[in-house]
Order: sequence, then structure tokens, then C-alpha cells
Amino acid sequence: MKHARWTALTLVLSSTLGLAQLASAQSSLDLWHLQTTEAGKAVIQKAVDRFQTANPGVKVNVSPTPNDTYKTKLKIAFGANAAPCVFASWGGGPLYEYVKSSQVVNLSPFLQKDQAFYTRFQPASWSAVTFDKQIYGIPGENTGIAVVIYNKALFAKYKLTPPRTWPELLKVVATLKGNNVAAFSLANKAKWPGSMYYGYLVDRLGGPDTFRNAVLRKGGGSFADPVFVKAGTLLQDLVRAGAFVQGYNGLDYDSGVSRQLLYSGKAAMELMGTWELATISSENPTFAKDMGFFAFPTVPGGKGNAGNVLGTVGDNFYSVAKSCKTPELAFKLLKAITDTQAEQDRLADRRLPPVKGLKVTDPLLSQVSAFVAKAPSVQLWYDQDLAPQLGELHKDTSQALLGLSITPQAAADQMEALAKKLAAGK
Amino acid sequence: MSLTAKPVAAAPSQARRARRPRQDWIAVAFLAPAVLILAVFLIYPLIANFRLSFVDWNGLGNTARNVGWNNWLELSRDAVFVRALGNNALLAVLSILIQLPLGLLLAVALGRASRGSAFLRIVYVVPLLMSSVAIGTVFRNLYDPNFGAINVGLRALHLDALAQDWLGDPRFALLSVIAVICWQSIPFYMLLFMAGLSSMPAELSEAATLDGASPRVVFWRITLPFLQGTIRSAAVLSLIGALRYFDLVYVMTGGGPTNASELMATYMYRTVFSGFNIGYGAAISSAMFLIVVVVAGLALRLTRRYQTEV
Repeated sequence: MKHARWTALTLVLSSTLGLAQLASAQSSLDLWHLQTTEAGKAVIQKAVDRFQTANPGVKVNVSPTPNDTYKTKLKIAFGANAAPCVFASWGGGPLYEYVKSSQVVNLSPFLQKDQAFYTRFQPASWSAVTFDKQIYGIPGENTGIAVVIYNKALFAKYKLTPPRTWPELLKVVATLKGNNVAAFSLANKAKWPGSMYYGYLVDRLGGPDTFRNAVLRKGGGSFADPVFVKAGTLLQDLVRAGAFVQGYNGLDYDSGVSRQLLYSGKAAMELMGTWELATISSENPTFAKDMGFFAFPTVPGGKGNAGNVLGTVGDNFYSVAKSCKTPELAFKLLKAITDTQAEQDRLADRRLPPVKGLKVTDPLLSQVSAFVAKAPSVQLWYDQDLAPQLGELHKDTSQALLGLSITPQAAADQMEALAKKLAAGK
Repeated sequence: MSLTAKPVAAAPSQARRARRPRQDWIAVAFLAPAVLILAVFLIYPLIANFRLSFVDWNGLGNTARNVGWNNWLELSRDAVFVRALGNNALLAVLSILIQLPLGLLLAVALGRASRGSAFLRIVYVVPLLMSSVAIGTVFRNLYDPNFGAINVGLRALHLDALAQDWLGDPRFALLSVIAVICWQSIPFYMLLFMAGLSSMPAELSEAATLDGASPRVVFWRITLPFLQGTIRSAAVLSLIGALRYFDLVYVMTGGGPTNASELMATYMYRTVFSGFNIGYGAAISSAMFLIVVVVAGLALRLTRRYQTEV
């Protein structure tokens, strides 16, 4: 009897040990991303399933997290040395923080070996993830550039045409205001939507180099440049002309309230990333029929080309953490979630992956595609391009400019003071 | 406050003295887990946080750089921090002036036993049961300047002039959030005062009433003095709560617009998690800790003196 019990115990023990061995032979990868719509999640999950079938014994743990929570979660994970193998980001300043602290795998050697994969993507899509000539991420999700989305029906009603220049825009604002319609819908609680106006004004006034040189502290570039002050002045002119909906600095973009203002006809335009076109189409198909978009107007005497865009070709980018024990496998996973099938799935979800030779049939998407293809310059969102501290200050000052609670000169001076301090600290 | 601080009035008997070391042992054994938890989750992080306030660090890898008192010097000159501190102070004052009296009023009103009050008690406790994020989202919608019930209602009553940009206007943002904070917290103080009232012997007020005291006199002369200790605790709790407040402000305004509703805690959160500026964030939270400790200590001392004078 006693003997039998021991045998049983040994059997149980050995079988659990066996299972444990099996589990350790199987490797697992964590993948963190921020596609939280059903369709967006499905694209990645399907790609992961294909990857798991092709690599038996590898388990991928996928965790999608909403936008603002994601930023915090990622930061804590890295700080606690518990980073996921593969993670999404916007590139730019925040990713550079991770790169500087040598937390991210340099993907250039992988891409050099895999030219076919590398050359599939549009050249412009690599800029946000290239630091010191090395590439730290794969573009894959979408082309998100800021355009002025407008209500064609409302424009027709008041006999308006899309403004091409700043004075034309002010006339449109006046006409709409005269008819009790706000020109722009804006939900600026999180501060990044309002930052787009400032970014575009800087580009239209001074061209893309003004910001670039100020960021890189070269060629005499400075945030105290008169262009930045002038951009703030024009932005405040727009506010004083009554161009924005009531309460714009307190409205929450994530709750969809800026779109509701468009749908209800209380506002006629919104400066927003092109992802909004897909959101509107699925949220309000009736309104989507009257929806169009145009480029941010030029400013008379300004150096910026009307075709220059603000935004990102590639939004989001996928990177591999240095702590990942199987970087080769992680790179394979990167390839899987941006493979041809995944790109087709994204296209079906009305997104525009930054790959060459994409056959786009959707009229709005092909318009966006043509827009980007012709763009002489693509500037990453200021808040994502700048180093995090400076990005925070930029968001604060642009919200303050929109709230008329700071002078354009003071906003520019504050930015320059911090930029100088950070540059000196390095 | 230590275990042996209180002098024993009567001389302990021999038997007691003999048992004493063992009792100490038992006390230590019972206290150990709590002390251990406190040390690991409270005292150690506190010290670690103070140490972090002397570095410049983005929170990633071994890149921390010692900067001495720089973060603290900067903090003393930081206009945003000063503004946040002022906002915390305003929140504290308004919390005590609004939450405590209203909580007491409700407690006294509902304490008078009548059948309807049981139902009302449940109704008034509802805000306490909801998560702050849910409350913040609901009120953000109510406050919406274009579609929100508050402005729509005001306009329907032809009070268009009163329809404001509640959360987007720097003049109103903080006050709008404070109103919600009060709505959420009053039930807590109500419960606290109801508990206090329930320990009041009924004979006290009955005797006074028999002697011809009006309800008002009973309230001012008997109920209020009886609740003194509860009120003191409530005030200190409210004060400390206001100084380290975070959630509703974060959900409703994010500290904006233009820092108008910034609190020390929201500023710290932004500095650390959006600004990747761990050292400075640690300085903010350490300063917050010091401020709370000093203010709470002063409040306790002042109210204690008041109590002994009465």
C-alpha cells in the first residue's frame, strides 16, 4: 500500500516535471501595442497567429492598451526592467530617451541583411525612428498626417471654398461666425490637438528647417526665432477672430466630442490626423458622405510649401527591447505583424500602411496617399518629436497661447530657455 | 507613543513583572508583520524617493546623474509648483468649509429617526460608492459647454449669461472640479458624523429637551460639543486629503487649462510620466510629503490645544 502511494507520487511528480521542461523549451514573446479598435486588434492577432503557426513552440502574449495608459505602462515596465520584447511607439523624442539609455535593439543590422523587407517601406517612414543614422523601429500601422477635415454641405450652404491662404481662412471664419457656426472644432484638454495649429503655422511661416534647427541646436536655430513668435501671434489672431468652438481648452478628444460638434453642424472644420477620416466613416456614415479635407493654408510671405505635412508616415512603429532574450525571433515577429497580409488587412480597415505600391481603391485614402507622396517634407508631431520635457512645455505653451493666457514672445522664450538648459545638461 | 512610554500608575505585582518579557515577545510577534509591511511599502519607498530627488534621471537604465540640491532649488522657483500648491490650499480650505458643515447637517437631519431617512441615507451614500473615474467622466459630460446638461438647462431657462465654459475657462476650471469633489466626499463625512452621533447617549438630548431646550440649542450646546473629537478628525482627514488630491482633477481637466487646476499630485504625475523627469518628480512628491506632514502636525496640535481649553 505504502509502496503504491510512493509510485503514484513519483509518477505525478515526474509528469509535472516533464510538463515544466516542455514549457521551458517553448519560448514566449511579449508584444505590446495600442490598437484598441476591434478591427485594429484583429489585424495584429491574425498576424500573430500566422507567426505562431510558422514558428511552433513560440508563444506570443499580446496586450493591447489604450493610448494614454499605454505611455505610462510602457515607461513603468522599462523602469522596472520588465520590458516587453516587442513594443509600439510613435518614434521621435520619447523613443530616443529609451534608445539613449540603451534599452532598444538597433535594427539596422537586421534590415541590412533583409533588403527586400527594408525597401518595401516608403523612405519617409523611417525618419521618426532613425537616431544617429541607426534604425530602431519598423513602421507599420498607418499614415497619420494632419489635414483640415471639413463639412462640404456647410461650405456649400454658405458658398465657401476651402481656403488656401491665411487671409482666405480668416474670411471663411468670419462668414461662418456670422452664421453662428464655429469655424474649427477643437478638443484641447490633452493639448496635442491644439499643438497641430502651432506646428503648421511655424512650417508655413519659416519652412521645415526652422523647427528642425531649433531642435538640433544647429545653424543658429532657436525657439526664440521670430518665426515661433509670429506663429503664436497668428494663432492668437485666429482665437480672437472667434474661430474655435466654445470650451475648446477643456474638451476631451478621446470622448469624441470634437466630432460631435462637426456632426451637429456647430463647427465646420477640424484640424486632425487622417485616422479621423476612418473613425468618422465608421462612426457616422451619413456625415462621412459630406466630408472632405484640404491642406493647412499658406501664409503670405511665408517660406513653407503648401504641401509640407505635419504627422507621421508609419504611426505606430514597432521596436525590440534590449532585454529581449531572443532578438532574432522578435525581428521575425516584427516582420510578421507588418507582412503583406497584415498590410492588406489594415488597408481593409481604412488605414494606410507606409509601404510602396499599395493598391488603394478607397477615394479618401487614395487622396491621403497622393498627398503624402507629393509632400516635400513630413514633420513628426511636435510633442512626439521633442525630448519629453520640452514636449510637455510645448503642449503647455500652445494650450496657453490658445487660451490667450500667455504672450507669443513669452511662449517662445520659455521654450528656448528649457531647450538651452537641456542642451547644456547633455 | 512607544510601547513602554506610559508609566504604570500602580506598582506592578511580582507576578506581572515576571510575565512581562513574554508579553513583550508576543507584542513584537504581533507587530512584526505590520512593521515589516510598513517598512517595505512605506518607509523604504519614502527614503528611496528622497534619494531620487537628488538625481537627474529619465527613469531608464543606469543613466541617473547626481545633481545635489538642484531639483529642490528649481522647485522653489517653479511658478507651476507654487500655483499647484496654492490650488491645493484653496481645495483644502473649501473642502473643510463645504464638506464638513454639509456632512454634519445631513448626519443630524438623517439621524433624526424617521422612516424615509433610511432610504435617503442610501441615496446620499451613492457618490461614495462610485469610482472617481466614472464620476469624472459623468461630470465632464454634464459640464460640456455645448452639449452638457448644465448649460443646456441654463439656456432652456433663458439664463444664457450663466452658461459658462466650466472646464475650459481658467477662471472656473478648478472651482468646477472642487464642486464635484465636494459632492463626492460629503457622504463620507456624513457617515463619520453619523457614527459619532450614534455613540451619543440619547439621555443627554432628551434631558435637555425636557428642560425646554429647542432643537437649535440642543445642536449647539450638546450635539456639537459632543462631536468635537469627530469634527477634529474629519477636519484633519479633509486637510490631508486635499493636499494630496489627484484623481478627479486628473480625469476632468488634467490640471489644465494652462495649469489653472494643477495640483501638486497632477504636476508630479505629468513630470514623471510624460516628461520622463524622475528626479524632479521625486522632488515634487517629497516636498508634498513634507508639506502634508507639517500641516497635519500643526493641525493636530492646534485642535488639541483648542480641545483642552474648552
